[in-house]
Amino acid sequence: MTLVAGVDIGNSTTEACVAELAASGEVTYLGSALAPTSGVKGTADNVEGVVTVVGRALAAAGRRLAELDTVLVNEATPVISGLAMETITETIVTESTMIGHNPDTPGGAGLGVGTTVDFGALGECAPGEPVICVVGAGVDFEDAAHGLNAAVARGVEVAGAVVHADDATLIVNRLDSPVPVVDEVTLVEKVPLGMPAAVEVAEQGRTIRTLSNSYGIATVFGLDAEQTRMVAPVARALVGNRSAVVVRTPEGDVTGRRIPAGSLTLAGERGTRSVAVDEGAAEIMGVLRGVRPLTDASGEPGTHVGGMLARVRDTMSELTGTEPAAVRIQDVLAVDTFVPQRVTGALAGEFALENAVGLAAMVRTSRGPMRLLAARLREALGVDVLIGGVEADMAVLGALTTPGTGTPVAILDLGGGSTDAAVAERTGVTRSVHLAGAGDLVTKLIDSELGLDNRELAEDIKKYPLAKAESFFHVRMEDGTARFVTEPLPAETFARVVVLSDAGMRPVPGRHSLEKIRQVRRSAKHKVFVVNALRALEQVAPGGNLRQIGFVVVLGGSALDFEVPDLIAEAVSGLGIVCGTGNVRGSEGPRNAVATGLVAAHALAAGLDQAVGE
Amino acid sequence: MADTGTGTRRILRLDERGTAGPGGRTDEVVLGLSPAFGDFFTKTIVDIPHAEVLRELLAGIEEQGVHARVIRFRGGSDLAVIAHAAAKLSGSGIGVGVLSRGTTMIHQKDLVRLSNLELFPQAPLMDLDAFRKIGRNAARYAKGESPEPVPARNDFMARPRWQAKAALLHIKETEFVVPGADPVELDVRFQLADAG
Amino acid sequence: MTTSARRSKRTEALEQRPVNLDGFVEEWPEVGMVAMESPYDPEPGVRVEDGVIVELDGRPRAEFDFLDQFIADHALDIEATERAMAIPAVDIAHLLVDPRATRQDVLAVSRGLTPAKLLEVVKTMNVVEMMMALQKMRARRTPANQAHATSARDNPVQVAADAAEASLRGFRELETTLGVVRYAPLVAIALQVGSQAGTPGVLTQCALEEATELELGMRGITAYAETISVYGTEPVFCDGDDTPWSKAFLASAYASRGIKMRFTSGTGSEVQMGNAEGRSMLYLEIRCILVTKGAGVQGLQNGSISCIGVPGAVPGGIRAVLAENLIASMVDLECASGNDQSFSHSDLRRAARLLPQLLPGTDFVCSGYSSTPNYDNMFAGSNVDAEDFDDWNTIQRDLQVDGGLRHVPEAELLAVRNRAARALQGVFAHLGLPPITDKEVEEVTYAHGSKDLPLRDVLEDLKAAQSVMDRGVTGLDIVKGLEASGFGDMAHNLLAILRHRVSGDLLHTSAILTPELETLSAVNDSNDYAGPGSGYRPSGARWEEMKRLRHVVSAQNPEREVG
Repeated sequence: MTLVAGVDIGNSTTEACVAELAASGEVTYLGSALAPTSGVKGTADNVEGVVTVVGRALAAAGRRLAELDTVLVNEATPVISGLAMETITETIVTESTMIGHNPDTPGGAGLGVGTTVDFGALGECAPGEPVICVVGAGVDFEDAAHGLNAAVARGVEVAGAVVHADDATLIVNRLDSPVPVVDEVTLVEKVPLGMPAAVEVAEQGRTIRTLSNSYGIATVFGLDAEQTRMVAPVARALVGNRSAVVVRTPEGDVTGRRIPAGSLTLAGERGTRSVAVDEGAAEIMGVLRGVRPLTDASGEPGTHVGGMLARVRDTMSELTGTEPAAVRIQDVLAVDTFVPQRVTGALAGEFALENAVGLAAMVRTSRGPMRLLAARLREALGVDVLIGGVEADMAVLGALTTPGTGTPVAILDLGGGSTDAAVAERTGVTRSVHLAGAGDLVTKLIDSELGLDNRELAEDIKKYPLAKAESFFHVRMEDGTARFVTEPLPAETFARVVVLSDAGMRPVPGRHSLEKIRQVRRSAKHKVFVVNALRALEQVAPGGNLRQIGFVVVLGGSALDFEVPDLIAEAVSGLGIVCGTGNVRGSEGPRNAVATGLVAAHALAAGLDQAVGE
Repeated sequence: MADTGTGTRRILRLDERGTAGPGGRTDEVVLGLSPAFGDFFTKTIVDIPHAEVLRELLAGIEEQGVHARVIRFRGGSDLAVIAHAAAKLSGSGIGVGVLSRGTTMIHQKDLVRLSNLELFPQAPLMDLDAFRKIGRNAARYAKGESPEPVPARNDFMARPRWQAKAALLHIKETEFVVPGADPVELDVRFQLADAG
Repeated sequence: MTTSARRSKRTEALEQRPVNLDGFVEEWPEVGMVAMESPYDPEPGVRVEDGVIVELDGRPRAEFDFLDQFIADHALDIEATERAMAIPAVDIAHLLVDPRATRQDVLAVSRGLTPAKLLEVVKTMNVVEMMMALQKMRARRTPANQAHATSARDNPVQVAADAAEASLRGFRELETTLGVVRYAPLVAIALQVGSQAGTPGVLTQCALEEATELELGMRGITAYAETISVYGTEPVFCDGDDTPWSKAFLASAYASRGIKMRFTSGTGSEVQMGNAEGRSMLYLEIRCILVTKGAGVQGLQNGSISCIGVPGAVPGGIRAVLAENLIASMVDLECASGNDQSFSHSDLRRAARLLPQLLPGTDFVCSGYSSTPNYDNMFAGSNVDAEDFDDWNTIQRDLQVDGGLRHVPEAELLAVRNRAARALQGVFAHLGLPPITDKEVEEVTYAHGSKDLPLRDVLEDLKAAQSVMDRGVTGLDIVKGLEASGFGDMAHNLLAILRHRVSGDLLHTSAILTPELETLSAVNDSNDYAGPGSGYRPSGARWEEMKRLRHVVSAQNPEREVG
């Protein structure tokens, strides 16, 4: 009988299992444990984490270090990934043509058309003249209402107003005859005066009808066909708003400019090709597919993408201690995303959702330090240390301990930085692949798409379900059910969307609805995990044919996610694949696969491994 | 120090209309004034007239299309107690408490008294814009929305300037407390003193 | 406003002076808005029956509140009290000022004095007399100073570098606190590591809510505790869900592990909360001092502390603040004497508020000199900050008084800042905490404040901070990390500090460690002031050190500067 420990040093977690091997080759698993990885995976810094985790696994098994015969360690090649994101479109408003923002509380309802006139000059307007009054900063709401009423009393046709402060309802409530009023126009002084203009406010819960329609604008301003073509972007930009102002200026325009983001050069074994980043993720991934496997990637110097890849390279070179020039990027994942950005030239601080591309890149580094690590480990534990087989092979072996699995089997290891896949055919042939993009990219997408600027909160949104605190005694869960509590909820959660994290409810700031946050979360997971799962399986499947894979076992930290395994299962269900979260040894869930595989492999062919230092 | 932003001086008239009862409408916010607000005291610690404070709070609520009721809390000078009492009388469960010196709190009826939805502890930093935003947020809570909290400000040099005056104002206000007295409903009217 | 009256140009100039940004109020003794001269404070008096105090300052035992009871049963020496109380207040004040009466002579009397009597004694004294008395009554012979080392971004690298600089400049205790509380374990480790990169033997603490503060202390991540607040009236005490007994229990928890600790109190807190029960600020503070004494705690941080704006606004308020420091010292407590919170817009007034502690010397002249610019001070700003270092050193040199600091040439400061950051880099790597980059080390070496530093990954830091708590990291792990990353001398120093909690030497009154890692306390360095020519006076090497400033013209060659 020998006592062995299998140890898997991962990027963020080190896992171990302790087992007893009988002379017959029979394995009895006694205990397992996990701990954070100390230092960069595959370096001598890992010793502390390994010592900790072996100690814990032994304790769980009720055994002592002195009884341990051998420690089996995986071939821990560090896989390091980097992330970057760049905006590629920009909305620009020129000549103050439109104000299309959505103040919380515009006043009145309907459409008003007239010539823009400053509030101070209202007294000079002739009776019968249709005007849109522009009320600047510092005008009190009572004074504003009084002035408008006086003008109307003189016979001036006040058709609507544009106001600086958050005063629209206050003003309209004081008008003798209410008109549409758009407020919170922060740069109201930039509204051109003496120009034809239209103000439209929809009833609560509705959106504007006239100014979001090119022909509506044409009707209001009497435009010909050519002029109508010119205002089409304005109408498009106003779709979905509750309120809008359009001023007709000779040069006014709204443009959606593409920001040249530079080109990405992908060098692969099948050739080298360049692709402009502003073509979007689909185009980039298409080009990548054409050249893969990738040997390196670079960005056009002096452009956004050049900077992006240089940053990734620098981070990796810092982490691995190699020269930046020696870092080889072996995979990239591009995803389309959007980022809330202030509209250039806007008058009310309007935001537009600009398109952006997120890139994850990945490198595998050299295997150099492994022997040193093994030697150090041997010193620290006083036990024989064997470097086991290829990580992917071990993971497959471990995954196969999941009840109900069989070959051919594929594993998907969903980590923080990379998505790994391996397949084992009936013949025993194994193929594996490491792809860029995993949990960290999902966090980044959630953070930027919701405009949170808080990665920790984005991480929580990724990991936990949402709810809305509807009162102090109940929350509405994202599936629509209500959950009641007896102790009142914390004050900061009241009326907010909350994340139901392990540490309690955490409010999400901002105006996003629960549905919106949920949709962003799920689409980010889809864009990264589902896309990568398919990409990975395609690359390891026999003959590139996904239907040749019988079973897919999802492993790794992100396999513990409450919806990612389901999203993946859904995506491959049409291919006749049985897909589910692993349950290593029927007890460990998606954890401990490599550690278990190491022990299993050792039991199968104890003679194949070589003791280090002998 | 503080300029009210208009040349107009408003005089606040607060007429008592009997004991304040619980509100029936769910679209209301109740403003609870401290015992000496707009009475013995006429302005905040930084000399913002109470007339303007109340007008901005009410405007913030009205702009959101929400109804406001104003009460005077006579039984204590503790802000949490006043704000919580206002919340409990409010049909929406949302109340705002405001002390004479300007310290303000948004409260909700189901919260424990020592908690709150938003607290603005630094009276010297409260300006008209802050009061408007507090009214707005209270109304948005009443509508079941999730407003961004009004940013609380901080200034470490406020201590040497205001710490002692704040203590005096608190003690003075406490002298107007009538222990056990019921809160009273107030009729609020603003009159123009002179046209600037 | 109508056309205003013509105004004096001088008045206009005076209106612009920063002192007029400070707030001042009239006294109102009925509600306690008075520093120390109130007609509503009780008359001194004590009555003992069968070894029990049955009447204290005019209040019979049946009417005692819990402070009276705690003081009567635990703070006053029942053997000594009736005799001591019989001595006229002015005679006791003479005893305090007269250099021929020793510190021990005073202690023999003060151990029996009631709060009202202590108040009566200091009321007979002006500030110069109080300073005379404080010079003698300070427990430790050698004065010292304490610094705050905090970061507006809770950046541990900054805290380590500032701690190193502060320790090299002479501070013997360093204190930190947080903006984001969850950062505490990392910042406390940074303070501990950084403090040993300058002058060895600096003690550190992290001000937090009481449970976490205690846990960090027990684990040896901090070396002492200070922010255990006591108050002078029952309602204010109860607002914090506390009693003198609960505070005493907490104190014993620290003592059980050999951890140094002191309480905190100060004039003005009760009136600030509107619960002064009609007593003067100083009378209530004296009750706090005696509660501290009764709890068996070795020392007190007082001098109004966070309520300084209240005594600062009333007549004689700063005299009362000096009096509270004096009374803490005269009942044989270590006194960390305030000067630790933003006090005035006026530089003149800031200095005037400082001199009554700086000139006689106290155990810690500041209970928090901001070693960072005030914008980084997470204790809401101090009376003196990193930009006042040269002024402080100059005042020490001008008056030949020892405020505990010294001028250090830039090259030496850069060296220790760099070393602290590198040591922390090593410890973080050893403990598997988020990496500190070489760029961060480089930037913090030259930085003035957090605005000069690269941002850290707060998410990773907070996760790591939690892991420090979950994994049970202790001071010994920090020692190992220092040793493993090649900072053996710092490991040795830190281990020596940890070992002191086993010997318990740091529980002695006014204990600090010398750079040689020996305890210096009221036991082995007791204050022997006995008038001119005696007691502590900066001399020899220390005085030579104090003579150095940033710019001093060389006598040898007036075209050059020394320093």
